Amino acid sequence: MQKRPRYGLYAIVSLSVLISFFPIVWLILTSFKNTAGIYAWPPQYWPDPFTLDNYISIFTNSPELLRYILNSFIVGAGCTAITLLLGGLAAYALSRLRLRFAGMLMVGILAVSMFPPVSLLPSLFQNFLNLGLLNTYTGLILAHAGLFLPFSVWMLASYFATLPVEIEEAARMDGMGFVRIFLTIVLPLSWPGFVATGLIVFIFSWNEFPLSLVLMTQNAMRTAPVGISLYPGEYAFPWETISTATVLAIIPVLIITAIFQKQIVGGLTAGAGK
Amino acid sequence: MSRTMSLERRTALTGIGFVTPTILIIALILIYPIIQSVVLSFGQSSIDGSQPYQFVGLKHYAALMGDGRFWNALGVTFTFTALSIPLELGLGIGLALLMNESFKGKGLARLAVLFPWALPTALNTLIWRWMYNSDYGLFNGIALQSGLVDRPINFLGDEILAMGSMVVVAVWKTSSFMALIILAGLQSIPRDLFEAGRMDGMSKWQEFTQITLPLLKGPILVALIIRSMDALRTFELPFNLTDGGPVNATESLSLYAYKVIFDFLDFNFGAAVVVVQFLVIFAMSLIYVFALQNKD
Repeated sequence: MQKRPRYGLYAIVSLSVLISFFPIVWLILTSFKNTAGIYAWPPQYWPDPFTLDNYISIFTNSPELLRYILNSFIVGAGCTAITLLLGGLAAYALSRLRLRFAGMLMVGILAVSMFPPVSLLPSLFQNFLNLGLLNTYTGLILAHAGLFLPFSVWMLASYFATLPVEIEEAARMDGMGFVRIFLTIVLPLSWPGFVATGLIVFIFSWNEFPLSLVLMTQNAMRTAPVGISLYPGEYAFPWETISTATVLAIIPVLIITAIFQKQIVGGLTAGAGK
Repeated sequence: MSRTMSLERRTALTGIGFVTPTILIIALILIYPIIQSVVLSFGQSSIDGSQPYQFVGLKHYAALMGDGRFWNALGVTFTFTALSIPLELGLGIGLALLMNESFKGKGLARLAVLFPWALPTALNTLIWRWMYNSDYGLFNGIALQSGLVDRPINFLGDEILAMGSMVVVAVWKTSSFMALIILAGLQSIPRDLFEAGRMDGMSKWQEFTQITLPLLKGPILVALIIRSMDALRTFELPFNLTDGGPVNATESLSLYAYKVIFDFLDFNFGAAVVVVQFLVIFAMSLIYVFALQNKD
């Protein structure tokens, strides 16, 4: 087949890229407008004047935003650490140790991941209240870990399945224990799988909403998406604050996605591929 | 460990040791609360334990059957799912085919498509809410200035338009996710199948319907399962876009359950709502799993 110039293809690609980006572009443009520009009618398409006031005032008037972002980081990091460590061990045992109950457990783990998070809320809230875990990092980290461990186990297990088993068998012959094999052979060989899983779990945790909303009831403990969602009052919609805070809260996710695009896509498709 | 212990036994013990922490957390955070929700739904109690649990049988479920707002939420959830999933699937297949072509700037295009997925739903929903705004919103600005309409459209204030607006946000966000899964399936189709098809003089369309689609059945079903489960439990989208309004036209089951539990503070009735929702999702997933097993 001869090569024709593919204008049609480029037109469709450009259109898709445009549609993907325009809400974010509109958000960023809004965050650089002054109040009059934000509430102008007809809408001001380009910030006039272009101003950094919203960014300055969000740090002076809404210092809680930094706290929300910090909370999101702590919870995301804690949840990622637990799901990688414990999920990694479980995935290794279930995919490599030929346990009799392995298949059943894998299916069971997949099945519980279909629970709607809201169905956990009445009892989780009550239990966390009784245990003093409401408004604690420990509590929300555990909750997120429980939510995302099934994904991490499935994804890491599918990654381990791609590694040649001979090296581990040779190590066993040499009398190495399973823990040492896991730490010195499996971990170093499978770090790309761990990186991909970790990034996706971090994004999941950063974006998680219902449990973060209910288990963190104090303003100072809220995560970024929840804290920003609760800015709008009953009647007012303080878009100066919301747009600026949203830009700041999605930057970490955007950076991670941009840098690790390949790993994330690979991980998502591997995790969903069963 | 003693040296006399058999390898088999040692493997089993190690396995149990490796698996236990994960199972424990999943049991505590997912399984136990579900069982507890079922127990709560059959009783009367208070959140802080000041009123001891009292078994009331099916009382809450009976009330649920006569609760118009519950049926409305169920209908909203199904309508939302039925409208958004086919659109996402169609767009997802299209995007996957597109990303399977080789062209300059493919990396950037793929990144752009991934972005909506990576953003927190709660926050991108706020952005859309602002663009839909009838007084200052971007969409009304464009529609009015280009002369398409002569008065602002109340995207979120009209019952039908609000549902449509919600579907648009969901489709915008998650078509890319569908596309990624389907793309993975697409890339595993052997190239020579298409070459053979071309030899037989197949058109592009025949190639798509007779080679590509049948081989994509598996990935498409997987994508459908994952996305349907998500759509059936959608929460932050209506929470941030419309708060369920107008007149509950966008109140999903998850949002209704949340309001019963935390706004009306009726834990037991709320538990009945979430148990029914869980059963609905469970039934749906069984149907899908059945379909997956019989895909050949």
